[in-house]
Amino acid sequence: MMKKSVLKGRASDKTINVCCACAAIGLFLILWYWGTAATKLGMMIPGPLEVLGAIGRGLFGKVGRHSIMAHVGYSMMRVMIGFAVGSIAGVALGLLMGWYGIAEAVFNPLFRIIRPIPPIAWIPISIIWFGLGEDAKIFLIFLAAFSNTTLNSMAGAKSVDPEVINAAKMLGANERQIFTTIVLPASVPSIFAGLQVAISSSWATVLAAEMVRSSEGLGWMIVAGMNNNDMIQILSGIVMIGIVGFILAIIMRKAEEVLCRWNKSGE
Amino acid sequence: MSMEQERGIENSIIECTGVCKSFETPEGEHQVIKDFNLQAKENEFLVLFGPGQCGKTTMINLIAGFEKVSGGSLKFMGKEIAKPDPSRGVVFQSTALFPWMTTMGNVEYGLKMAGVKKQERQKRAQNYINLVGLQGFEKSYPVQLSGGMRQRVGIARAYCNEPKVMLMDEPFGALDAQTRYLMQEELQRIWEAEKRTVIFVTNNIEEALYLADRILVLTNCPSTVKKEYIIDLPRPRNLVSPEFLALRKEITSIMDSTL
Amino acid sequence: MKDNKKMKYLCISVLSVLAVIVVWYVCIDVVHMKPETVFPGPVKVFRSFVDKLSAKAPDGATLQAHLWASIKVALFGYALGAVIGVPLGIAMAWNKWVDRFVRPLFDLIRPIPGLAWIPMFILLFGIGITSKALVIFLGALIACIVNSYTGIRQTKETHLWVGDVFGATGSQKLFKIAIPTALPMIFTGLRVALGTSWTALVAAELLASTKGLGYMIQQARAISRPDIIIVGMLAIGAVGAVFDALLHLVEVKVAKGMNVKN
Repeated sequence: MMKKSVLKGRASDKTINVCCACAAIGLFLILWYWGTAATKLGMMIPGPLEVLGAIGRGLFGKVGRHSIMAHVGYSMMRVMIGFAVGSIAGVALGLLMGWYGIAEAVFNPLFRIIRPIPPIAWIPISIIWFGLGEDAKIFLIFLAAFSNTTLNSMAGAKSVDPEVINAAKMLGANERQIFTTIVLPASVPSIFAGLQVAISSSWATVLAAEMVRSSEGLGWMIVAGMNNNDMIQILSGIVMIGIVGFILAIIMRKAEEVLCRWNKSGE
Repeated sequence: MSMEQERGIENSIIECTGVCKSFETPEGEHQVIKDFNLQAKENEFLVLFGPGQCGKTTMINLIAGFEKVSGGSLKFMGKEIAKPDPSRGVVFQSTALFPWMTTMGNVEYGLKMAGVKKQERQKRAQNYINLVGLQGFEKSYPVQLSGGMRQRVGIARAYCNEPKVMLMDEPFGALDAQTRYLMQEELQRIWEAEKRTVIFVTNNIEEALYLADRILVLTNCPSTVKKEYIIDLPRPRNLVSPEFLALRKEITSIMDSTL
Repeated sequence: MKDNKKMKYLCISVLSVLAVIVVWYVCIDVVHMKPETVFPGPVKVFRSFVDKLSAKAPDGATLQAHLWASIKVALFGYALGAVIGVPLGIAMAWNKWVDRFVRPLFDLIRPIPGLAWIPMFILLFGIGITSKALVIFLGALIACIVNSYTGIRQTKETHLWVGDVFGATGSQKLFKIAIPTALPMIFTGLRVALGTSWTALVAAELLASTKGLGYMIQQARAISRPDIIIVGMLAIGAVGAVFDALLHLVEVKVAKGMNVKN
């Protein structure tokens, strides 16, 4: 393998990857098309052209009461609010728990009881508490982001190199300064690992919340498709969900690259 | 020991009397330092020289204030050492730089904690960055610098707070031989330009003889001072002069074996 | 001295849990901050729990029956996903050509949360075990692939070169060097997959099921019995925690001395 690359140069390696990717995706699309056009599969699942057509029409048209873009907007808005509040709370609590033993002693047991309960299991109780509106859904996303960021932040705070802390003490930093100027920045890589899990978990949770009880959003769209026996709507929903989820993951990765420039540990 | 008493206690920046240190282990108490006596004068370059893991780092940690003594007294400028302080600067073997800060950020950190205003502290930090020969690298992150350069940042960072004592725990131990020689010369130059009391730990005899005014040869665990040598050779030292080689031979012969 | 601190923290932990229960009790049963139909007190929840261990009402099965129904499906889908996902992830990381063709497709499927497939599966296979198992299978599969892949990728090249020096064949390098190095990450994948499977199961049961813990709490909501909901939630949480702890024990036994972090 190494000899090939040396002979052809690094640029070739990349183009080979791109070609194979295109070939694989192309093959998949062709199989999908042929499978639905030529066999009985077509009675159960729509072909790629039908799905793309539906997306094209629905993007700014109407699916239910809103366009697909509007549905995306609703889902995204819920995720953004819940994720922001949940992550900030989770990071703050996690860092405190990682740094101050007392905080960990107080909050950890409660945390260990609540965390294993998937946010989705909270749906019925949150509907009873918050009603059928936005609050219930945002609460769930808050839970998803909160539980995923707390642990990672706590681990980050605990794993700060003790020598670095000694260096800070030697340079005259007091306890509070050490927390804000050392522990916090040192934990950023761990925090980001948590944030990446939190964003995909939040995305999954908003869908679940919308699937159970909603009148708009991508989750609603695929459940409505199910209730109307409309496979095309379901698949267009799934494609949109995949695209948005993909974009969210990329944004998170880019953010990490920028903020953790200093952490190239040479793996 | 009597030489120390002759020189007089008022001159001492650091004074250790009968210092002992033990650690709790699952097998019981492990004594690392026993009855340690040391006096470091102003602007003196004192080297603690000894085999492997014999408590040299613990001694530095005690003087720095990272750990507390189990027995005996440890004084800095006449007062018992209680906790770490910028007046006792430390240079770590692993550099312990703040990886998310640039060179300037690292060097000015001590001044920032002391509340010095931005313009003033950047001016002072720049001074020391120049002193260690890192002009042009103010905006670099530690991950972009070589091992030797990182250690220079560590030295500048400790120096910047104008400490009375510099504590250096095998600062060049992690560098390759070539860089190590270079850094020894650099340290010598920096120290001559801005003199401080230095307590320097090493297990490399050449390094010790090259840099020291005085060498304390330490025993194995539990560590105590075995013998003291005053190095009166002119600087910069000649590594192959007969005096140098004679001292080297003598000190190596009285050293405890590492195993 | 260190033991004293540990004792102190342990007491604080126990006290904080008790404090929450006491505050809960005071708010509901003493001060009556909210009606019991909206927010039950700890006493009612405990009684309902005991009750549900034997009563089939109001949703048609006892707590244990629901529990067993859920666990069966979750473990089945999980096992299948792990058995296929781990080798597939390893193959993708080990063989460059497999990677080149499979990874782009995988990257497309990955951002889609498992439960987004539920409506499609329900339309295709109806409400029942098949749909649920498929969703769980997908979730477990993806988590196992990702972590096994990362685990193999992290095998340091130098270690493999050592194998070359000793004349190891490709498969020997794979089984004796790469896989053992990847074990911690493979186990991480298994634990994540377990969590995902359990979550996916609950979601599937909320939407379309006739038994299981998710179904139980959905029914409880319909008839406004938040006490049963809380019992169900705590049961879901407890089972998830127990599975995770068991897996952790296995991991410690198998991956001894390979930096098993908690």
